[in-house]
Amino acid sequence: MKIKSLRSRWKREEKRKIEYEPRTVKDILKEMKDISQLIVDLSYSSLLFHNEELAEEVKYLEARMDSLNYEIRMEAMLAARNVEDAEKMAGILQVAEAAESISNAAGDIVKIMKLKFPRPLIPSLLKESDENITRIKVEKRSKSCGKRIKELRIRSETGTKIIAIRRKEKDIYGPDKEQIIEAEDIVILKGTDEGIEKVREFLIGNVEVLK
Amino acid sequence: MTEEEAKESLSELKESAELMIDLAYSSLIYDNIDLANEVYQLEDESDERYDRFQRIIVEDSKKGGLTTDEALALIRLGAVMESICDAAREIADVELRDIELHPVIKMSIEESDETFVREVVDGKSVLCDKSLGETRVASELGAWVIAIKRGNRWHYNPGKFTHIKEGDVLFARTTREAERHFRDVIRGKTREV
Repeated sequence: MKIKSLRSRWKREEKRKIEYEPRTVKDILKEMKDISQLIVDLSYSSLLFHNEELAEEVKYLEARMDSLNYEIRMEAMLAARNVEDAEKMAGILQVAEAAESISNAAGDIVKIMKLKFPRPLIPSLLKESDENITRIKVEKRSKSCGKRIKELRIRSETGTKIIAIRRKEKDIYGPDKEQIIEAEDIVILKGTDEGIEKVREFLIGNVEVLK
Repeated sequence: MTEEEAKESLSELKESAELMIDLAYSSLIYDNIDLANEVYQLEDESDERYDRFQRIIVEDSKKGGLTTDEALALIRLGAVMESICDAAREIADVELRDIELHPVIKMSIEESDETFVREVVDGKSVLCDKSLGETRVASELGAWVIAIKRGNRWHYNPGKFTHIKEGDVLFARTTREAERHFRDVIRGKTREV
């Protein structure tokens, strides 16, 4: 059921008629940059854990990025009044285009899932890097339960970043600082081995504070 | 294999793709041509690396090592990283054109979730004369150092064993949440890490 509704979400976004809504070029570019970073992490995660739901979110973000790229072009054209404006706007559109290329590349990662190869091949390939992706289940006894991400200071204490939270009712992708962590959540995070270990000890309740 | 070789070149490709994106965005926020040129340099290297990687994979599957699907998965994964490198070059290209940057570019990068800092290491900072690994900049401070400028020399993608010295200019990727504390540590305003 969950997969089906996710699938229709990106199909809808793909076919959405782009209507002109005034929005600043800055806001659109910022959203494009944020998506370009999140989508790469999510696509590696979906491949690593062979997870279809994460893959569907990647497809949604890819479609969303297409719409944003369209919108930013419209805004840029409206904003240019002379040659000088046009010159500067060209730079903005180039950065936007690059963000779009990154999201297309992430979409290609997800397609690799359709190939038949032994599952351990990918993890062993991706785990060579300095930063790893892993998933941890939050235990009831952990002090993180019921707290906001910003209160936990996961990023500033351990340098790890939460890419997604998998929850029975609804998954959360690229959670913001206000997001509350609950028992039984499966947290997907990215960071150094050392940082990840610290977060693991905290989320499974072996240590009470993150330091 | 070559499997070891393939693994190594793939993770090198992945790391340089990530580094290049960070350097490219930093070149735009700090209007820094050196950083943008480095992206170009790395892009040439990653092209060569990707060519070598493809060859390793094809040769291995010809010898009956990898199956068709395995080989395809690897080559496509490599291709993805290569296109991310290309995207980084596109971003750096904006800095290298002789056109004044639109302020919106800088603002949108600074306001996004992951941002970048540039800071000079103060003599009082606890980071002085220590290696990046020792001070655990990544795991304790939540910042990823992507380049160090010492005098006129650049040191890109420093590792755990790279030492930090007074007067070094650090370029790092961080989050808005961790940014202030990280800056204070570099400026020597706090000794707490």
